[in-house]
Amino acid sequence: MSDAVRDQLSEAEGPQTMAWDSKARRLITIYLPLACFLLILLFPFYWMTITAFKPNSELLDYKNNNPFWVSSPTLDNIRKLLFDTQYPRWLVTTMGVAFGATFISLFSSVLAAYAIQRLRFKGSKWVGLGIYLAYLVPPSILFIPLASVVYSMGLFDSPWALVLTYPTFLIPFCTWLLIGYFKSIPYELEECALIDGASRLQILRRITLPLAVPGLISAGIFAFTLSWNEFIYALAFISSSEKKTVPVAILTELVQGDVYQWGSLMAGALLGSLPVAIFYSFFVEYYVSSLTGAVKE
Amino acid sequence: MNIITRRSILGTSTAAAASLALPNFARSAIPVADVAPPKLPLENGATLRVLRPTKFLDPDEVIFRENIAKFTAATGVPVRVDFVGWEDLRPQVAVAANTGAGPDVVVAWPDDPHIYADRVVEVSDIAEYLGKKYGGWYSLAERYGKKWGTNNWISIPMGGSGGPIVYRKSWVKEAGFDAIPTDHANFLKLCQNLKKIGHPSGFALGNAVGDANSYCHWLLWSHGGKLVDEDNKVAINSKETIEALKYAKELYPNFIDGTLGWQDPSNNKAFFAEQIAMTQNGVSVYFAFKNDPTKAAQTADTDHAPMPLGVSKTRPETALILNAMVFKHSKYPNASKEFIRFMMEQDQYEKWLTGCIGYWAQPLKAYAQSAVWTSDPKIAAYRDTCGMEYWNGYKGPISQASGAATADYVNVQMFAAVSSGQATPEEAVKEAERRAKRFYR
Repeated sequence: MSDAVRDQLSEAEGPQTMAWDSKARRLITIYLPLACFLLILLFPFYWMTITAFKPNSELLDYKNNNPFWVSSPTLDNIRKLLFDTQYPRWLVTTMGVAFGATFISLFSSVLAAYAIQRLRFKGSKWVGLGIYLAYLVPPSILFIPLASVVYSMGLFDSPWALVLTYPTFLIPFCTWLLIGYFKSIPYELEECALIDGASRLQILRRITLPLAVPGLISAGIFAFTLSWNEFIYALAFISSSEKKTVPVAILTELVQGDVYQWGSLMAGALLGSLPVAIFYSFFVEYYVSSLTGAVKE
Repeated sequence: MNIITRRSILGTSTAAAASLALPNFARSAIPVADVAPPKLPLENGATLRVLRPTKFLDPDEVIFRENIAKFTAATGVPVRVDFVGWEDLRPQVAVAANTGAGPDVVVAWPDDPHIYADRVVEVSDIAEYLGKKYGGWYSLAERYGKKWGTNNWISIPMGGSGGPIVYRKSWVKEAGFDAIPTDHANFLKLCQNLKKIGHPSGFALGNAVGDANSYCHWLLWSHGGKLVDEDNKVAINSKETIEALKYAKELYPNFIDGTLGWQDPSNNKAFFAEQIAMTQNGVSVYFAFKNDPTKAAQTADTDHAPMPLGVSKTRPETALILNAMVFKHSKYPNASKEFIRFMMEQDQYEKWLTGCIGYWAQPLKAYAQSAVWTSDPKIAAYRDTCGMEYWNGYKGPISQASGAATADYVNVQMFAAVSSGQATPEEAVKEAERRAKRFYR
């Protein structure tokens, strides 16, 4: 390398820009689409947040107030939500239902996915397909037959009705997701363990599951979020106000005929979305790695 | 059953607050006949669960709970009431009807008892008693209470919410009219003039349960159109409907922008923000002004009027009826019926009606003498809400088909398609006919 070239390189700071690359090109191909993407994703949260802090006078009068900003922020909507309704109780119920349903679903899905993917029993492919097809049955068709089952089990108007019915759509989804993930784990690892005398359960517990943590977290996040947001079963199986989950309860309490209390509704939606966001933020790296395929042969 | 909950305690305390809110409440001179109530021996150990739509305003719930407490004190029957969002009531009723579980009494929407007619208890005894005692039932209440084509009552209407015109008097005057016209031509002229002076009108054309159905039913009925005939045959494809669609197309450009997507709260918001001079709604818009001390001028300037008659001889409007039914799966049918009767008696009903300040109107004629209707002359347009001569699925029987066609917005979407220019009147009416025939087989 000549001295001239070396001097030129030492002057440069950071990675070199390729000949075909340029700031303008990066702006158009990366930053602009990213900005649009962020705007579309975050705007609803922004709107939800500012609405939660707006007084009614600002909410209803866009002529004299900027719709995208709060001039006189108020905590009235949040106070009303937390102290004039049973919101804290709804939040606890929702969380309990979501954790319970997620745990049951993940446990069942791990066993089902492992059996279908690794044991390869006769007809396993058809079982896998059947589980996937079960996911396609919409809850709006299932809620009346399920209501009969829930009633006959004496679970009507109990959060346990939701803990036990949510897995009907969570297990197919999680199983389908985990089948794909187990497929990416090299089978040779298990064969080695088999030669060393490990049983199937030992292999699952000591080899497969530790390698499948990103997949489990990914399935867990999906299951938790779906449980948290579920509406139709929560509406149909729970009738007591104090046992309702957040999505159903805030609508019941904060919509009065044709008058929507937007401030408190948005405060409820905002506070309700925080646990999911926090839960997600703890595991985001695992989540991404599960979607991109972390285990390489 | 544990019926003492934080909510019930809260309800009791707010009931006390509501009592304070109505300090001058006194029984009105309601003309009451001396009629003995039907004998309904209460079942031993009876407890009741009641489901009803969520409140319109606080006293609606507070006084309802207060009356329930009185019922429990008088009979010893514990009652638990749950409130559910308006749009969410139907799935819960469907579950209760199909599983034979859940509430004993449901205060449901108008069509619901007719959809589940074979699963509800006949309530002719209390309906006839109440009718005799309180001056008879209004026509719409009777229509929705009785099983079609019979004299058998399958539900007890408890109230009706109407949707006349709500308007700003000064802007209507500025547009050249002293009052809301009763004919189509002048109504169109009024809308055109309002648009010219910068205060347009706005009528919902989105899939809005209350407001869009009210507006589009008015368009159809005030031109003499109907969804089905008396023999339950689809009859929407008529020259009257075509006329109504042409009129809707002329009217629509004079509205404020965006009414095609309007839901039930949209016109409330636009009227409160003074973006529109006229809309069709329940009394909630007026009370939004009245309850805001800074809006005294707007309150004074707001008034109500019936929608124009057009070619109809009576008001071409209907009402959202609260229709109470007792499911056959209830172990306590007598207690359930007694509960409904108790709630409709003057001591309870008039206080609830007064607390609702016009949001709900009475189904029994005697209650028209209640002081609530003279307490504010501006709500008088809502008084005879249950006396309308039209119903969902007019002019055929109230049935599952009429309920389904309304729920599928067949009529609303027909008018929306023509108003937006998406279809010609002829195309839209053919499509509506095709969709209606799916329900009326």
